[in-house]
Amino acid sequence: MSPSLQNWIDIFVRVLDKLPLTLLMMVLSLFFALLIGLGIAIIRIQKYRYLYGIATLYLSFTRSTPLLVQLFLVYFGLPQLLLIINVDINHWDRLVFAIMAFSFHTGAFLSEVIRSAYLAVGKDQFEAAYSVGMSYSQALRRIILPQAFLISLPNLGNNIIELLKDTSLAFTIGIIDIMGQVRIILGNNHGIGMFQIYVVISLVYWATCIIIESLVGYAEKVFRKGHVGLSK
Amino acid sequence: MAIVDFKFALEQVPAVLKGVPWTITIAIVAMLFGLILGLLIALCRIYKVPVLNQLSILYISFIRGTPLIVQLYVFFYGVPVLVDYLNPRLGLHIDADEIPPLMYALVAYTINTAAYQAEIFRSSINATNAGQMEAAYSVGMTTRQGLTRIVLPQALLIALPNLGNVFIGLIKATSLAFAVKVVEVLAISKIIANDGYRFIEMYLVASIIYWVLCLVCEFILFKLEKRMSRSETRMGLNASV
Repeated sequence: MSPSLQNWIDIFVRVLDKLPLTLLMMVLSLFFALLIGLGIAIIRIQKYRYLYGIATLYLSFTRSTPLLVQLFLVYFGLPQLLLIINVDINHWDRLVFAIMAFSFHTGAFLSEVIRSAYLAVGKDQFEAAYSVGMSYSQALRRIILPQAFLISLPNLGNNIIELLKDTSLAFTIGIIDIMGQVRIILGNNHGIGMFQIYVVISLVYWATCIIIESLVGYAEKVFRKGHVGLSK
Repeated sequence: MAIVDFKFALEQVPAVLKGVPWTITIAIVAMLFGLILGLLIALCRIYKVPVLNQLSILYISFIRGTPLIVQLYVFFYGVPVLVDYLNPRLGLHIDADEIPPLMYALVAYTINTAAYQAEIFRSSINATNAGQMEAAYSVGMTTRQGLTRIVLPQALLIALPNLGNVFIGLIKATSLAFAVKVVEVLAISKIIANDGYRFIEMYLVASIIYWVLCLVCEFILFKLEKRMSRSETRMGLNASV
C-alpha cells in the first residue's frame, strides 16, 4: 500500500473514532429538544396568557441569533450568571453545556415543526372525534397525534440533519468530537496537511447525513403504509 | 465587582459594531452571487442538462450534508493546495498567502448559499403553472423570453419568503467567519471577552446585535413581500377584467 493511501486511511480511522461522541451529542440534544419543543408548542397552541409572550420571545431570540453565540452564552455566561445565586456549575463537564445549548437551540425549531404539524391536521378531525364521544386526550392520542407525526416527519428529518451539522461547533468550547480531533491529529502527525483532514471530516458528515436521510425516508414509508391501511 | 457589568457592556458596543459592516458585506455579496449561481443550477436541474445536472445533484447533496464550518475549513486550507498545484502547470505566480481573508469568506459563503438557493428556485419555478410556459410559447416567445418575462417574475415572488429565510440564515452564518480569519461581530466580542473575562456581557452584546440585524431584515422582507404581492393582485385583477 502506498504511504499516502495509508495516510488517508489513518485519518479516516481516527476521525471515525470520534463519531460516537458526535452521535451521542446529537441523540441527547434531540431528546431534550423534543421535550422543550413539545412544551413550547403546547404553550403556543393553547395560548397561555403570560407563557405565550415568553415562548414567543424565546423563539425570536433563538432563531435570530447564531448558534455559536448561544453556545458561548451557555458555556461562558451561564456559570457566571448562576454564581449570583451561589450555584457553582463551573466543574460540570463541557458536554453538558454543549448539549444544553444544542437542546435550547433546536427546541425552538422543533416547536415550530410540532406546532405546524398539529395545526395542519385541522379542527374537523377534532370535531369528528368529539362527535363519536371521545374526550380531548383520547382524540389527541388516537386521532390527532398519529396524523401530526406523519406530517411532521420530513421537517423533523431536516432538523435532525441540521442538528448533526450543528454539533460541529462543539469543538469551539473544547469538546473533542470529530472536529476537535483535528488538533490531536495535527499534534501527533506534523506531516499531514489540514486540507486532508477536513476533506475526511466532510466526507464523514456527508455519509452520516445521507444515512439519517435514508432512515427518515424509510420511516416515512413505513408510517404512511400504516396510515393507508387504517383509512381503508 | 458586579457579576454582570452592564456599564462595561455598553462601553464596548461601539467596538463590536465595527464588525457589523463585515457581517453585512458577506451576507449581501454571498446572497447576490448565490442568487445568480443558484438560478443557473436550478435551470440546469429543471432542464436536466446532461453532466451539469448530475454535478449539481452531487454539489447540492455535499453542501447540504456537511456543516458550513467544515466547508469553510476545506476551502481555507484547500485553496493554497490548489494554487500550489496549478502554479507550475499553468505558469501562474499566485501567492495564496496574499489572498485576503474576506475573499475566502465571500467565495465560500457564496458556494454554500448557492446550493440552498438553487433548491428554492427549483421548487418555486416548478410551482409556477406549466401552462404559463405553454402560453408563452403559444404567443411566439422563445424559451428564454418565456422564462425571463413570464415564469421567473412569478417564481421570484413565490421564492421570496424562502429567500428571506436564507438571507437571515446567512447573517447568522457569518458568525462562523472566524474560521477563515475574518474578524466580525462575534470574533470582536470574543477578543474583548477574553481580555477582560467579561464573557456574559460581550456575548449578550453580540447576540443583541445579531437579533436586531435579523429583526430589521425580517421587517424589510415583510414590507417587500407585501409590496410585491400587492402588485400581483393588481395584475390578477387586470387579467380578469
